[in-house]
Amino acid sequence: MTDNVRDPLEALSDALVERVRRAQPLVARIEVEGRSMRSGTLWRKDVVVAAEQAFARVEEAKVVLGDGSSFAAHLAGRDPGTNVIAFRLDGAPEPAPLAAGEPHPGALALAFGADAASVSVRLGVIHSVGPAWHSRAGGRIDRRIVLDMTMGGREEGGAVLDAGGNLLGISTLGPRRRVLVIPTTTVEGVLEPLLSTGRVERGWLGLALQPVLVPEAMQAEADKSRGLMIMGVAKDGPAAQAGVLAGDILVTIGGEGVSRPANVAQRLGPEAIGQPIELRLLRAGKILSLMATVAARPSG
Amino acid sequence: MSCVPSRLRVAIVASDSQARSRLAVLVARSGHELVELAASPDAILTDDFINSSPPVPAVAIGAVEGDIAGRLPADPTARQIDAALRAVVAGLTVRGPNPQERGFGPLAEDGWPVLTPREIEVLAALRDGLSNKAAARRLAISPHTVKFHIESLFKKLGATSRAEAVVKGLKRQIVEI
Repeated sequence: MTDNVRDPLEALSDALVERVRRAQPLVARIEVEGRSMRSGTLWRKDVVVAAEQAFARVEEAKVVLGDGSSFAAHLAGRDPGTNVIAFRLDGAPEPAPLAAGEPHPGALALAFGADAASVSVRLGVIHSVGPAWHSRAGGRIDRRIVLDMTMGGREEGGAVLDAGGNLLGISTLGPRRRVLVIPTTTVEGVLEPLLSTGRVERGWLGLALQPVLVPEAMQAEADKSRGLMIMGVAKDGPAAQAGVLAGDILVTIGGEGVSRPANVAQRLGPEAIGQPIELRLLRAGKILSLMATVAARPSG
Repeated sequence: MSCVPSRLRVAIVASDSQARSRLAVLVARSGHELVELAASPDAILTDDFINSSPPVPAVAIGAVEGDIAGRLPADPTARQIDAALRAVVAGLTVRGPNPQERGFGPLAEDGWPVLTPREIEVLAALRDGLSNKAAARRLAISPHTVKFHIESLFKKLGATSRAEAVVKGLKRQIVEI
């Protein structure tokens, strides 16, 4: 007799439905007047997080949680660097705490989003897991997690859970609409400053850089074949005050070689603000050493 | 030869009633006629996922999933809507310069060819719209050398026009930090 043996496909399906039922209270529908609805995640009591890029110039919103309760929400803080925005709610329930999940390529992931009626769900595998990376706005993202699924714009910002129901992070759309995860640790890392000051400070030099091949004649002098050409210098910015000029080629920062912009971003964490840093540059075939004082990145 | 009519019949597919009224205002401002989806429109304006392939060309506002001919930023102008609707009805594909459409991306995308300082200078001259002769004057090199660098740039960047070379070689690679 096989009557008491569950069909594995049915068992999988039932398990997914159960996961969704448990996660549903976390899913936040964020409504902003005059815009399409967006998704967010009830991260802790009275705090909903979402993808910052989806909320340009938004300060006030209405949040409807997965259980149908609705709240006025106002902007607590935003960080384009990590693409995290935090809204504060009044009197929202405390979500059941979720453990942070560990992403593994090939593992199943469930991505939640808000829907006009309740929630939407997508199932896919974790396509790849890479090391920490720096975003265009200079933020450090602890892992590069890519999901093998497509996603609509209204779903980004929803929670992404692993098969065990642990929180991998929140979803966001990357270049070419790839679905990325902003890891739980990254969200946690920026949440305190966002809630207390509304922003996350980051170091800034006021430079526009482009990778460049060091001309052969100067490679011996520079001791390397690649550098970063200074394409622009922000007026009165730290680099301008240090004497950096457009056309210089940056070869080291703080004594370390730079061939990619990320090498510079690594040196510009919040701890670098106010600190002096040595820039070695090629100008007119000669190495030049300048000291700059890292400033805080201007907002906007 | 049939031309795109000056006033198009446009239907709306919206995520909710609020979005519907907003899209209706945009259709009116762009000078076109709002019709029902069932009334065989010339084009669709949407802010929502269109489940099947739309029966007529569609223009989407903001990040919308699906195979859609026209994509515009989340806050388009009436003029952009008008131009996009006409273009998709004529069978063209429309993409707006939407930073959000770029997605949450890395500081610098890997895989781009690394240029020499001289190549970057030549590209900057192309960006500024200079002719080969004018670029040669600016950089104090011969027009022949400028031409040589442009050919090398096209090859390195896989570009077939000056504009494409500027976008691939300059705009996408510059990082502000």
